[in-house]
Amino acid sequence: MSALLDVLTENLDEFGGGLWVTLRLVLGAFVIAIVVGTMVAALRIAPSVWLRRLGGIYVESFRNIPLLVLLTMAYAGLRRAGVPIDQWTAGIGALGLYTAAYVAEVLRSGVFAVSKGQIEASLSLGFGYAETLRRIVLPQAFRTVIPPLGSIVIAMIKNSAIIGVSLIALNDVLKSARLVQAETFKTEEAFLWAAVGYLLLTVTATVGFRFLERRLAISR
Amino acid sequence: MVYLLDPSNWEWLITGRNARFILEGFLVNVQLALIAMVFSLIFGLGLALLRLSKWRAVVVVTGLWIDLWRNLPLILVILYFAIAMPESWRDAYSSAAPGFLPDVLQRGRVFAALLALVLYNSAVLAEIMRAGIQSLDRGQGEAATALGLTYAQRMRLVILPQGLRRMVPATISQLITLNKDTTLVSIIGIQEVMRQGRILTSNNFFGGVQAPLLHVLLFIGALFIVTNLLLSRLSRRLEIREQQRTGTTLEPVRGLEDQVRTVQAN
Repeated sequence: MSALLDVLTENLDEFGGGLWVTLRLVLGAFVIAIVVGTMVAALRIAPSVWLRRLGGIYVESFRNIPLLVLLTMAYAGLRRAGVPIDQWTAGIGALGLYTAAYVAEVLRSGVFAVSKGQIEASLSLGFGYAETLRRIVLPQAFRTVIPPLGSIVIAMIKNSAIIGVSLIALNDVLKSARLVQAETFKTEEAFLWAAVGYLLLTVTATVGFRFLERRLAISR
Repeated sequence: MVYLLDPSNWEWLITGRNARFILEGFLVNVQLALIAMVFSLIFGLGLALLRLSKWRAVVVVTGLWIDLWRNLPLILVILYFAIAMPESWRDAYSSAAPGFLPDVLQRGRVFAALLALVLYNSAVLAEIMRAGIQSLDRGQGEAATALGLTYAQRMRLVILPQGLRRMVPATISQLITLNKDTTLVSIIGIQEVMRQGRILTSNNFFGGVQAPLLHVLLFIGALFIVTNLLLSRLSRRLEIREQQRTGTTLEPVRGLEDQVRTVQAN
């Protein structure tokens, strides 16, 4: 048991640094996923057929391409094409845009859960389309989608492990564990602590979303 | 945009055996996904049944097992098995692998990838199946018991046919995820589509036309989009057929969130 703890305490810098990198990746990707996901969801419910189709194409492409392919495109692919992108931007961008497709789908179903009377009432009060969406529909949609949004975020935290594997400069939790493993040959211990690192983040997210759900729940 | 659409950048696709080379790699992914799917569905059903067992200890242990594998990043599990799996397991796999598989999939390290894929996906599928079974009206099971059916008959004739139908959409979307996740095995050196793509762009391969990486990746992405859209079309087909046959709208188990909410509501 103490051998297990030793691996952690002797490599605290690596593991702590890894956790910090993963946290920043996840937070950055979360912001992009929410912003882009909301915009795509708005496209998906727009009054024009072409806008809806555009949103559909976004969702179907980003949801069906493997994240590893997106990450390789975002860094190595763009670099080869002469775009001077750095690894942070590529990693956060790819994970964020990938997750945005899922967020958009969940938000869309949340919007459909808002009763039609709400929209009709808002339109008859003189609100425009954009204002109805922003003031009436989206605030309610966000609330009903908190539980599924939570599981998307948890999936995103787990998916962030792929970033460190495909982009060399980003030492996230999994990459740090592999560095420790390569140095000490303590395979079980290193991977166990990496697993604990990810569990720490996913459990925090679960608790956070459950709290949000309870705070914002609408009684119907 | 100009760079992406420039026909000279797409020339590699029609030169030599380049397209075929990528497709051969993609076939490895598809086969890997199929093998993992079959085993994940079988083990997932087994886990779901254990999770619903009447013995409390079995329920707790199965629950812990499922939560463990479901909550770890898949790539971490793949890498761990690739590093830590004993040599003897790999050898056992390569000698037991059936001969009709391509050579790439008969190599020992494929076992590490398959084990990780099956452990992860069977845990996720087990939760989906459990939700499907639990969403059934309790009366169904009770009526079957009252009619004198044994546990096995009850499951086979009454519970599973109804419960499994409800989980078709959720299961198919998990299988789509599994299909995408097969690209992760490139990281432990299995020669599949990502690796083939890298080879194609690393030098003047067949035909002597330099293939731009972004374009090769777009082609690979398109292959995944097509197969995954076919899978989700299949899911919708099954749903519609079911509606026409039974004349009722299916109430699918979409995700675990729905289950959580109904449990809380009760």
